[in-house]
Amino acid sequence: MSEAKIALQEKPVIEKFKRPPGVWSVGWKRFSANRFALVGLIVLIVFVLSAIFAKWIAPYDPSRIDMMFPNLPAGTGNHLLGTDELGRDIFSRLLYSSQVSLLVGFTVAIASVIIGTLIGAISGYFGGFIDTCFMRLVDVMNSIPLLFLNILILAIFGSKFYYMILVLSFTGWMSVARLVRGTFLSLREMQYVEAAKAIGVSDWGIIFRHLLRNASAPIIVNATLMVGGAILSESALSYLGLGVQIPQTSWGLMLSNAQEFMLVDPVQAVYPGFCILIVVLAVNFIGDGLRDVLDPRQKAMMSARRLDRWRKKFSKSGI
Amino acid sequence: MIEYFVRRLLQSVLVLFFITVLTFLLIHAAPGGPRQIYLSPGLSQEAMAVQAHNLGLDRPLPLQFVSWIGDLLKGDLGYTFKNHIPVGEIIWPTIGHTMVLMGSAWLLSLLIAIPWGIYNSTVEYSLSDQTASFVAYLGFAMPTFWFGIILQELFALKWNLLPLSDMWTMGSEGNIGNLIYHLVLPVSVLTLGFLAGYSKYSRSSMLEVLDRDYIRTARAKGLNERRVIFRHGLRNALIPIITLLGLDLPILVAGAALTESVFNWPGMGRLFVQNAVSREYSVLMAVTLITAVFVIAGNLLADILYALVDPRVRLDRKGGSAT
Repeated sequence: MSEAKIALQEKPVIEKFKRPPGVWSVGWKRFSANRFALVGLIVLIVFVLSAIFAKWIAPYDPSRIDMMFPNLPAGTGNHLLGTDELGRDIFSRLLYSSQVSLLVGFTVAIASVIIGTLIGAISGYFGGFIDTCFMRLVDVMNSIPLLFLNILILAIFGSKFYYMILVLSFTGWMSVARLVRGTFLSLREMQYVEAAKAIGVSDWGIIFRHLLRNASAPIIVNATLMVGGAILSESALSYLGLGVQIPQTSWGLMLSNAQEFMLVDPVQAVYPGFCILIVVLAVNFIGDGLRDVLDPRQKAMMSARRLDRWRKKFSKSGI
Repeated sequence: MIEYFVRRLLQSVLVLFFITVLTFLLIHAAPGGPRQIYLSPGLSQEAMAVQAHNLGLDRPLPLQFVSWIGDLLKGDLGYTFKNHIPVGEIIWPTIGHTMVLMGSAWLLSLLIAIPWGIYNSTVEYSLSDQTASFVAYLGFAMPTFWFGIILQELFALKWNLLPLSDMWTMGSEGNIGNLIYHLVLPVSVLTLGFLAGYSKYSRSSMLEVLDRDYIRTARAKGLNERRVIFRHGLRNALIPIITLLGLDLPILVAGAALTESVFNWPGMGRLFVQNAVSREYSVLMAVTLITAVFVIAGNLLADILYALVDPRVRLDRKGGSAT
């Protein structure tokens, strides 16, 4: 059998010179090998698309009150998921809410990653007094439970939509700052930094061109995971009545509404929470998938016991 | 060791000081400033000026700050704006209520999570391990308040097994059985949240230890597996877990504003949310400060514990914590 194969192959098969797979395709291969990450990505894309096209998908205006038909069960007429206590179409409201949640999630994650990266980079690269100041600031911010801090600021300044985004970004950067600082502390001792300094690259040039690129992997992973956190915070704040305000809708707001009318229509509470759960799960899965792709350390640190088992199963030489 | 301790203590005091500055500035940065907050609305200009003078609001900021700190040090947290009740009187009982709720959830989750995580580290990728990581994913991604609402709908409304909310049934305040009856739902919500982190953490901490050379040595000596795991592994794996517990102690006080709001539990978190909605700033500031004190104390305790159990820390860090 195998000889036949060889014989076949002996015919002039001049293999074309194949380019080695690029970074992106290797990355994609690793990412898509993780089934959870792939499913997460698909789910997230579905949610993002439906949020973008909510205007066209939604069968009704989400804030249109129709007191003739309140509390319709799912599947009545054109109301896919029924209506709430004011006769508003739940499916349309869910769609429009996804706009708010995703917008908040991504904006907050990006903004706090930018803030955190800047502070962490400066503090890790320059060290000394600046570092001490920033790290004490991080300590101070970390000493107030985040939810409390968010509530406090929103209570003082009033709850506007963009305030909420600002507040969440300004209270979410600490973990990124610590992470970036830690990475920079070790990276700045690298030889290429010394080399760059020797040829006269400015400090900022080194930070942005050399160090940041080398530190980007954990930052990206962290940013992805922060999207989920931000969505959860938004829903919590809206649930408590300090986030998104009434003519607008959000999943958290729908939940607090649903709790109020729990006795009348208990199913209402299921949908928005389920949406939050699914989106956050999807984002977290993507984050974990990205970590597999981007973080080479994670690969190297395969546990010795797992390696042992692998060896027992597959290794022929017994090494 | 003593130098480390003192230095760490001074740091904590410094952080606490900055938190008071931050809270103070936040209140003064509010639109309309403290005048609008502390003074009754609808007063004439003159009356407002008089009242501002009486409250000391016309003094320069640093001076106000110093007198505010002085009051705080005397234990005077101020008065509520609406009914002029001392803030302390409102807050102290709620701390107890929160501690009851959080303490039981915390203990329960520890009792489940640590043995489970340690067991999972010895049977990696087994069914139990995968269940644990499924629970962890769920715990991290689920909005706790939604879980609470769903439990309420199922257990309280549909099956009528457990009370919907509150801490006691009307008229049976102080009855332990009644309290436990009310605790079940919120505690299960909180436990799921805690479980996620703790089981994952104790598993990875144990795994890390099991990879060490001294474990290999212990096995090579011919010790049986149980002895290796419990004598040599567990003791070392518990060190970071203890630290984590120290760091999480403040949760007992800060509590879960969300869970308390869902279940109408008369704790500090719900107090905070209610007063945020009604803009009762003196209560908000006091609660923020109290939680901050607990958080800082918890961090300090965690660091000291760590230094006590693990001599390497003392030698490595030479005082100031690097992070």
